[in-house]
Amino acid sequence: MSQKFRLIKSGYIDREKKISFKFNGKKYFGFKGDTLASALLANGVHLVGRSFKYHRPRGFLGSNVEEPNALVQLYNGAKTEPNAVATTIELVEGLVAKSQNCFPSVSFDFGAINNFLSKFFPAGFYYKTFMWPKSFWHKIYEPVIRKAAGLGVAPLKPDPDRYEHKFEYCDILIVGSGPSGLASALSAAKNGAKVILAEDKPRFGGSLLTDEVTIGNKKGKDWADEKITQLKLMPNVIVKNRSQVFGYYDHNMMVMFERTRDHIENPSQFTPRQRLWYIRAKEVIISTGSIERPLVFGNNDRPGIMLASAAKEYMKVYGVIVGKKPIIFTNNDSGYDTAIEFKKNGIDPLILDVRSNSESSVAKEAKNLKINIKFSYGVVNALGYKKVNSAVIGKLNKEKSGYDNLENISCDCICVSGNWTPTVHLSSQSGNKLKFDDEINAFVPNQSRQNESTIGSARGLFTLKETLEEGFTKGYDLSKKITGKDLKTPTPTSNERIYEQHDKFWCMPLPKKKNYKRCVDFQNDVYVSDIELAVSEGFRSIEHVKRYTTLGMATDQGRTSNLNGLQLVSNIEKKIIPEVGHTTFRPPYTPVTIGTIVGREVGKHYRPTRKSPMHSWHTRNNAVFVDAGLWLRPRYYKQNKETLLEAAKREATNVRNNIGICDVTSLGKIDIKGPDSAEFLNRVYTNSWMKLPVGKARYGVMLREDGVVFDDGTTTRISENHYHMTTTTAQAVNVLSHLEYYLQVVWTELNVNVLSTTEQWAGVALAGPNSRNLLSKLFPETDVSNESLPFMGFKQADFFGVPARIFRISFSGELAYEINVESGYGVFMWEKIMEIGQEMNIEPYGTEALSTLRIEMGHVAGSEIDGRVIASDLSLEGMLSKKKDFIGKRSLNRTAFLNPEREKIVGVVPLDKKTMIPEGSHLVMDENADLPNPKLGHISASCWSVEYNNPFSLAILKDGNKKIGVKLYALSPLKNKSIPVEIVSSHYVDPKGKRVRS
Amino acid sequence: MQKYSIFSLIKNAFTNHQNWDVAWRDPEPKKEYDAIIIGGGGHGLATAYYLAKEHKITNIAILEKGWIGGGNVGRNTTILRSNYMWDANGLFYEHGMKLWENLSQELNYNVMYSPRGIINLAHSDAQLNAYARRGNSMRLNGIDALMLGRNELKKMIPFADFSETARFPIFGALMQPRGGTARHDAVAWGYARQADSMGVDIIQHCEVIGFDIQDGKIKGVQTSRGNIKTKKVGLCVAGSTSLLAEKLNMKLPIEAHVLQACVSEPLKPFLDHVVTFGAGHFYCSQSDKGEMVMGGDLDGYNSYAQRGNLPTLQHVLSEGVAMFPNLSRLKILRTWGGIMDMSMDGSPVIDKSHIEGLYLNFGWCYGGFKATPVSGWTFAYTIAQDRPHKLNEKFKLNRFNTGHLIDEKGVGTKTWIG
Amino acid sequence: MLEIKCPYCGKRSQNEFSYGGDASVKRPELGKEISDKDWDDFVYLRKNLRGKHSELWHHVAGCRQWFKVLRSTATHEIFKTTKVNE
Repeated sequence: MSQKFRLIKSGYIDREKKISFKFNGKKYFGFKGDTLASALLANGVHLVGRSFKYHRPRGFLGSNVEEPNALVQLYNGAKTEPNAVATTIELVEGLVAKSQNCFPSVSFDFGAINNFLSKFFPAGFYYKTFMWPKSFWHKIYEPVIRKAAGLGVAPLKPDPDRYEHKFEYCDILIVGSGPSGLASALSAAKNGAKVILAEDKPRFGGSLLTDEVTIGNKKGKDWADEKITQLKLMPNVIVKNRSQVFGYYDHNMMVMFERTRDHIENPSQFTPRQRLWYIRAKEVIISTGSIERPLVFGNNDRPGIMLASAAKEYMKVYGVIVGKKPIIFTNNDSGYDTAIEFKKNGIDPLILDVRSNSESSVAKEAKNLKINIKFSYGVVNALGYKKVNSAVIGKLNKEKSGYDNLENISCDCICVSGNWTPTVHLSSQSGNKLKFDDEINAFVPNQSRQNESTIGSARGLFTLKETLEEGFTKGYDLSKKITGKDLKTPTPTSNERIYEQHDKFWCMPLPKKKNYKRCVDFQNDVYVSDIELAVSEGFRSIEHVKRYTTLGMATDQGRTSNLNGLQLVSNIEKKIIPEVGHTTFRPPYTPVTIGTIVGREVGKHYRPTRKSPMHSWHTRNNAVFVDAGLWLRPRYYKQNKETLLEAAKREATNVRNNIGICDVTSLGKIDIKGPDSAEFLNRVYTNSWMKLPVGKARYGVMLREDGVVFDDGTTTRISENHYHMTTTTAQAVNVLSHLEYYLQVVWTELNVNVLSTTEQWAGVALAGPNSRNLLSKLFPETDVSNESLPFMGFKQADFFGVPARIFRISFSGELAYEINVESGYGVFMWEKIMEIGQEMNIEPYGTEALSTLRIEMGHVAGSEIDGRVIASDLSLEGMLSKKKDFIGKRSLNRTAFLNPEREKIVGVVPLDKKTMIPEGSHLVMDENADLPNPKLGHISASCWSVEYNNPFSLAILKDGNKKIGVKLYALSPLKNKSIPVEIVSSHYVDPKGKRVRS
Repeated sequence: MQKYSIFSLIKNAFTNHQNWDVAWRDPEPKKEYDAIIIGGGGHGLATAYYLAKEHKITNIAILEKGWIGGGNVGRNTTILRSNYMWDANGLFYEHGMKLWENLSQELNYNVMYSPRGIINLAHSDAQLNAYARRGNSMRLNGIDALMLGRNELKKMIPFADFSETARFPIFGALMQPRGGTARHDAVAWGYARQADSMGVDIIQHCEVIGFDIQDGKIKGVQTSRGNIKTKKVGLCVAGSTSLLAEKLNMKLPIEAHVLQACVSEPLKPFLDHVVTFGAGHFYCSQSDKGEMVMGGDLDGYNSYAQRGNLPTLQHVLSEGVAMFPNLSRLKILRTWGGIMDMSMDGSPVIDKSHIEGLYLNFGWCYGGFKATPVSGWTFAYTIAQDRPHKLNEKFKLNRFNTGHLIDEKGVGTKTWIG
Repeated sequence: MLEIKCPYCGKRSQNEFSYGGDASVKRPELGKEISDKDWDDFVYLRKNLRGKHSELWHHVAGCRQWFKVLRSTATHEIFKTTKVNE
């Protein structure tokens, strides 16, 4: 029974290329050029899914992105794709699809019991129940509802595919390649504009693929093919199919996704699955066409009931007939096209037209073809559970409020046509406030807010003649504005069927004593009764109706239901539609794959990784790295099986006893030049900078204007008007912006320039009692004695032929130096130091040992400077100059900042001298106090003091100065720890700072 | 008022649901009220409800420019939590959690409070320590919190990136088990229905265009539907606060910013918690409908447009895929933007103003939804008693003069930094 | 994505820039007497208006210059960009 609904000929499919695929475990055949939907319909398969709430059997309503029902799960495993729209999936060999939201199968689904109980589940029922007993919602009701909801199944493995991004600029982006889009592309391109023409579907031409029209002396499709070929050959034109512009963002930034892989049978390994295009267009032409609306009647959601335009497309594009006994149910002339197409293919349709008559050319054509037409008739109810098999039809009374007679006739499909809704999504997204067009009973664009023009049926223009004229004119006008050229392309003549006005009647009344379900939103199971209920309960704003009933909130975003819902509300409320208003159109037009939006920023490429020039050496020497912002820094150099703590102790001990070397490249470095540099530093730092001599460094603290500590570091005067500033790794970027802001915006009178040199210098710290000894060997020509290079001294020197900078500064609290050379010599420097330092027992140390050293010295770092403390909290009040003003000074006299009992940095030692205090513990008086237990402070940093061989922590403690010697508890309820501690000075080791000056 | 229950649902089913009452009336504004709440969002509706219920002030109008629940209460990511470090925030939101726990029963409206647990992933020891500081503070304040290790997380969210190729590996997490979600629209509607039943007039499509102030006292408001007299006005307009403050010649310590959120298509349940990514600002949960509800960073510039731009979303979703690599194949269904009233220290203001009878409630940043009950509860107290409750006494406006700031993040006044 | 015309480099996409807030906020002169209230207003209060907003942007991934942008906070339309001193 292969493809018994396939016509012998017609369609644009490739009948030479037969394709096999699987649906719900069964093997079928289709042709290249089919969609999954057209191939299934060719095989007579209509039942594809179940509705969201009531699990009602569903078939295909549409033939494109408007499809609300036919969502399927593609493939298995990591490549599975949930909620794929069968009408948009191109058939490829080996495609595997199955129905969603049904168990055990789409044909027999337990969930369908909901349909029989649907009486109890009207719109919003869940707000009114499941409240008792209290704990049951989360434990019982919610899990059941969650399991019943959802559609497809998410993959649980990482996505194996790749996605790419592309950036383009053009004069005119044209969205949609129907007649108006093609016309505007042609005339704009010929007039010299750089044009991008984007078509969502695989085939170009839009309505020209299915309409019986001629342009010039060609059939519509042939004209479209010819023009696309022409456009593709033009160097100023990009033509893209399978490319949907889904978002209209600010300043004419258009975003498009291009499907590049899934339709290819044997794609190469590196073919991206999709490509995201960011297109900045000077002008945007929206020629996105329109979508047919369904008519609403009893059980209008049964499989076999579809849009008349879809049925026509299946015949004309795919050579598939959707039924052999069709009813065409319409309120306008375009439904007749479908009837005529059936008739031409040897099938006798029945037309039910709610209008009393039509004298249009297309109606006459149908009459001449002897098609049976019943005017003032409509479908009242459809029968057949899994596929429509008959219909109750009725002759409408004069008021169309009921029926003169009802009869039952058999059929195998019902094609509905409720007139056309312009696709205004992009226009609306651009900021264009839509207006209601009474004639077509739909919203159309109004005043453009950006450089946007909506043309053709997307703005309610439905004749080919007008559409072509508008397209050619618009393309010419816009291109002339941009290129200044004046080459006008004449509009070709065209021929088409003439349609008459439609009847606004669209919702069939219920016969007496019948309570048929009349579906408005197919996927979300929103029926006429739901909307009536919402309005009667006072949910009168269209947004309330939408949210209460979930109308238009399904994956099809109400493309076929929003306007019908609106009409219904306006009928009930006896308001005109524009008063009811419409809900907001937001990107994306159709659901967009997250991977496409993300692009290549995945895995290790999620964010850049910054490495020091010596990174390779660290790797070779068993460094274990730690993320410090974007930087990777050696945390410790692992020896044998030692733990982090053991390694940190070993490395820190070696610094205290011998000498260590640490990579400090990641510290922010800023070059400051200009005659006003000293004055500038004097303003941005809290301490005084006017008298710093050349060749000297100074420690400085910066505040934010709100008085909170921003950053700290040392700055060195290299020469008269040249300074070298260092910042913390974390704030390097922010400090530079901060300095630039004050120089460029606030103090423009200062003649100073700043430049980041973080990546220009490789930096190492040499720390430990042997460091001067080593330094003298590294720089034999330079006097590095305590007299010549004292604490906070600076020298430029020659490092084996490489220019180097030596700073005598210390974070570890030991006698220490930092050496900078140009980045490219980093490894050379490091290896030379290791080689020469070997005899002095030099060992590299990582950030963990560095932390240990600074903590026991009471030096503050990021865990203390957390953006919430002021200088005095860190015992840095001595750094605040009383003689001059500086950034943030004026904030320091606030009541809270002057409180004598404010926090202060202190040291903390466990009474047992053994238990490490977890960082993030809080200090309290009483470990057993009732909650909330008043917190006096928190542990900001902990280490194992290598100097005293016991744990030591820093804490920020309320009234800390007065608490030295006091015994408190460090509590970490998370770790179930309560540690009795004693408060000591934060300067645990060498409080006088003798070593750094030794 | 009709009581909602399984029984009323069944009963009404047999009359084809023709006999349900309106959830709230649609009254014309009266000439005078005892109190007026400006803003029919979650906070405004809750404030009116608690004024009526707790303080027996029922002659109240809520004035809403558009439709109720149309602001941030209808466009948030539905997360509830009280996982704050500072006491002022922690104790305030914890009181809120207690209100959430009984809200469905109290309102006779199922707000679907779902304590599914909120997990904050940490990606370094330093971050774990910062979370420990917060979690320990929570525990000492009587708020539930626990630390999770990698192995526990692997069981709870096995699809998260625990691989070698993760740019920022997962080290552990802080979890508040009672944190979770609620159905946002239901919160607005539930409060509206109960407030209405106690006599509160909910007046939609009524814009406040001016204030009547004499001798430093509020006398009434001017609206698009006429002047209304009152002695007490509560301002609950979140993102529009500065616009109304301008009519009062006040400048406030807030900026309006856009925050985007998005949902995926509905999927069968696989994520049972709310999870936040620590190496970025991404957060994610799965709604009862099956949609992944996701959000992250501000767009980063002042804006009253309820629309954002794609690069921010790209940035946020890249964080999502870094956390859950399987999200990559899912599809974004809807994106939208809300206006955040970003305060200069990241915490709200619930306070009296210098005008007698005018009360302020603003500065919710991106955390206003979870605060809905407790904000309404404390604001109602402040309005009724003309003084703040102990729970909101730290949320004073003058803290920006005294320096008693409540800065959870430590980024200062750069409100656009998320 | 906004398109911002850097007065030094020309039109660039927003992702090259970072935001700097309300440009009408003027930092009080250093060392000059100022009342507590005026100082606090400078640090914390913002016009936060809906409509034409003068604001600072920083071309961080370009020339690293700060400049002023006049932009609608209601529609995001940019009316003009100028150097800081213009």
